[in-house]
Amino acid sequence: MKNWIGPVIAGAVLALVTHAVVVIAAPGFIMDRAMSVLKKRGSPLHDFGLSPRMTAETQTVVRPSPDLAYSLCRFDLDQAEQGLRVRMAAYDNYSSISFFDSNTNNFLTLRGEGQAREAILLPPGAARTAGPPGGLPEAVVAPNATGVILIRRLAPTQQAYDTVAEIAPGDLCQPL
Amino acid sequence: MPKRLTAYLLAGILGVAIGAFSALAMSGLLPTERRTGGPVELNGWYGDLTTGSAGASPWVRARIARHGLLALANSEAIYFTRTRDDSGRPFTEDCRYRITGQSIPARWWSVTLYNDRNFLPDNRDNALSYDASRADDGTWSAIVAAEAPANRRDWISSRAGGAFDLTLRLYVPADGVLDDPEGMIAGPSVERLSCDEGSA
Repeated sequence: MKNWIGPVIAGAVLALVTHAVVVIAAPGFIMDRAMSVLKKRGSPLHDFGLSPRMTAETQTVVRPSPDLAYSLCRFDLDQAEQGLRVRMAAYDNYSSISFFDSNTNNFLTLRGEGQAREAILLPPGAARTAGPPGGLPEAVVAPNATGVILIRRLAPTQQAYDTVAEIAPGDLCQPL
Repeated sequence: MPKRLTAYLLAGILGVAIGAFSALAMSGLLPTERRTGGPVELNGWYGDLTTGSAGASPWVRARIARHGLLALANSEAIYFTRTRDDSGRPFTEDCRYRITGQSIPARWWSVTLYNDRNFLPDNRDNALSYDASRADDGTWSAIVAAEAPANRRDWISSRAGGAFDLTLRLYVPADGVLDDPEGMIAGPSVERLSCDEGSA
């Protein structure tokens, strides 16, 4: 019996460590795969692309809403070392812009409320500063270098989607 | 010595297997586990209000990454999923259902149907969801079925949905909803109306 104490303790420790590693690594692993799919499907780096209306043929991530128009910008702050300037153009109906890092953390969300919204996205480790004079946006520091920025706009009809398509060119995701 | 080494080896393999399996099971990552869910229940609809928030546990974060990637934080949207009708039977595209709800306390809401792989079903019915813009104030109702009802406007198509589920989204929930979701949201009922022969 005494001879089993060591192996049992070792097995229990390995079980705990494996459990923690799998749970903590899963979001990053899944996000990495999703970003690869987005890249393969032509989602641009440092630029917003308006997705077509969500259908069985056009969906790229799980559980999209067919009532929303999605614009997505992939970012890699290793390739934009000064950061990114991000803007969501004004839209009369519901809209929001959300920032996700490569571990799926939603580290910033701004709601449109009929107004354009802007933010400066800084690389990890950058000093967080107030925005430049003139009412420009406050800067936010990304938790890690890669991720996606997602704009959602309510567009349950083709007519509403067409309206989004007209204003979406005013969105901005641009290296500083 | 070889006997002792074998014991350590077996214990190690078993430990890794148990750790990996328990992590996948608790995070909803097993192939057989395919739904979002959570501790908040509204008449058969399940949700987790920590979804997308910094307060979400590592297990919730892993589950959402798999079943609801890029979900919003609860101040912006909350999500509830239902997999069974009012009688407790799993949804299937072989049956027709009536979903009935009351006014929902949010700026905008929708009910969307997803297949067993968490994607929109492969059909071209242009009836993948029902949303607040079609509901009058007060009580509303829609048919969930593979074939269109007489009034297509109030239809959610389950064609090619298989063993589907329904997701209720509330965008910009009203004040107080996050503190008392059970008290403020009346979860829509889903009544099974009929089934194809042999599938009941």
